[in-house]
Amino acid sequence: MNRKTSKSFSRTRDITKKSVIYLLLTIAAFFYLFPIYTAVNTSLKSNEELAYGPVSFVKSPEFSNYLKAFSEIDRPIWNSFVITMVATAISSALGAWGGFGYSKLKFRGSSILFLILVLGFYIAPQSILIPLLRFIGSIGLYNSYWGLILTHTAYGIPITTLLFRNYFESLPTEVVDSARIDGCSYIGTFFKIALPLSLPGFAVVSIFQFTNIWNEFLFGLILTRGADSQPLTVAIGNLKGTTVASWNIQMAGMLISVLPVLVVYIFFLKLIVKGLLMGSVKG
Amino acid sequence: MSKRVQILLFILPGLILVGLFVYGFTAWTFQVSLTNWRDVGSTGDFVGLDNYIRLFSRDRVFKTSLVNTLKLTLVFIGVTIPLGLFLAVLLDLNLKGKQIFRLIFLLPLSFSFVASASMWTWMFSPQIGSINALLRAIGLGSLAQPWITSDKQALFCIAIAYVWQFSGFSTLVYYAGISGVAPEITEAAKIDGASTFQRYIRVIIPMQRPATLTVLMILLMYSLRVFDLVWLMTGGGPGSSTEILSTFMFRTAFNRNRFGYGAAVGIVMFVISILIVIPFFAKLRRSEYE
Repeated sequence: MNRKTSKSFSRTRDITKKSVIYLLLTIAAFFYLFPIYTAVNTSLKSNEELAYGPVSFVKSPEFSNYLKAFSEIDRPIWNSFVITMVATAISSALGAWGGFGYSKLKFRGSSILFLILVLGFYIAPQSILIPLLRFIGSIGLYNSYWGLILTHTAYGIPITTLLFRNYFESLPTEVVDSARIDGCSYIGTFFKIALPLSLPGFAVVSIFQFTNIWNEFLFGLILTRGADSQPLTVAIGNLKGTTVASWNIQMAGMLISVLPVLVVYIFFLKLIVKGLLMGSVKG
Repeated sequence: MSKRVQILLFILPGLILVGLFVYGFTAWTFQVSLTNWRDVGSTGDFVGLDNYIRLFSRDRVFKTSLVNTLKLTLVFIGVTIPLGLFLAVLLDLNLKGKQIFRLIFLLPLSFSFVASASMWTWMFSPQIGSINALLRAIGLGSLAQPWITSDKQALFCIAIAYVWQFSGFSTLVYYAGISGVAPEITEAAKIDGASTFQRYIRVIIPMQRPATLTVLMILLMYSLRVFDLVWLMTGGGPGSSTEILSTFMFRTAFNRNRFGYGAAVGIVMFVISILIVIPFFAKLRRSEYE
């Protein structure tokens, strides 16, 4: 009898505790979701319905807002797509190449060189902007895809090399050694042994790079002019504060720009988490 | 092919690109910072350290932007670290629906700073924004504020947007750190009669020092370089109330075409970057040799 009451007592206490935790989680979720809710809500409102404010739930959703927004930014979407894809591919490949070197061909001074390389990731981009603009201009790549691809590749290398070095560190040295005994050069070993095994590494690194480059703004702002090769972030930034688009169109455009990375986050959350942790904890 | 040649083949592409784009360009910026170069056509004359002297002795906007950078950093980090730790503990309690909450907390990380800026500018807009609309909807209309249009509140608004956008990162790192605590340790504490609360306070949270150092470094690094959010939300205004180093540098160099002077700000930011990262790198190397 006594035991039974104490048990039910602890159960009610458990329930209270659980409700408190859920309440706290819900408050946090509200903080993160409320802005997204009002943005989606507003993006679907007609110009007339905008007058009712951003919080009241949309009555007759106006999906054509998205078409209007899209027509303002279709070219920048394409620009961002090309630049991001190519720069992600090149910087990931170069990261695998260098990361293998630093992981499997240890030599005198390799850890110092590696440190200097990785340090590049931590230096504020503002300290290189003026020469960057001059340099890209002087080699004729101002306002071109290749100017941004080159820039994103160069600034991506510290982090992609770091991620791949950490990845190859988990690959047993014996695998490399046995290939070496069979007469393979290091380069042969890279292509025949390491590369086929590094697919999971590529998944993490390329998603990491894709999200970074797609979302980048400052380089795009400095190295392009006009819609020809302007990335999407810059176009969205320009949309804001102009009278060309009212808030519903702006929010629709903003959400379109977020969509690719959002989809990646929802479907590849595990890989994203891995990339963020590998890039920081072990960094 | 000798091993030496192969080593060079592996490491040179990265070293050349980073050597030029990061270290070469930084040296070039330093060289520019010693000139009075303004306007695109000319190259300017050598003026020694004049730009730096002027920055630190006479430029009030520079001083404001230094102070604002510091304020933004303190608020951002002061909120993000406890919030991240708190949410990570809540997630670690392993309730049903944990996965969904984790996804929600990480969702803003997928937004670009540009998207966040566009959204929060509008959220904080006094007439049409959602924050004031929400306050009015729940009968607290008297609490409605001028938000980003006020020189007293604008920096705070930016900090909120920044926390919204980036706190998922600290939640994530702490969550990984807490999940990494060996089950034997928590079991031992349980056997010693520690309540759940005591276990977290006395055992698990004190073990999160490495996670805190990681988060601290990344947050410091980002609060120095953040540009998009401030540039698009307030453009440094009203007045210079939200001017930070990165916007001041951009305005000086690219809006006013004062490249020499802007370069000096860039070098100040370079020095701060190094100051932030050196202690962490030193610690990392020490632990590598242990």
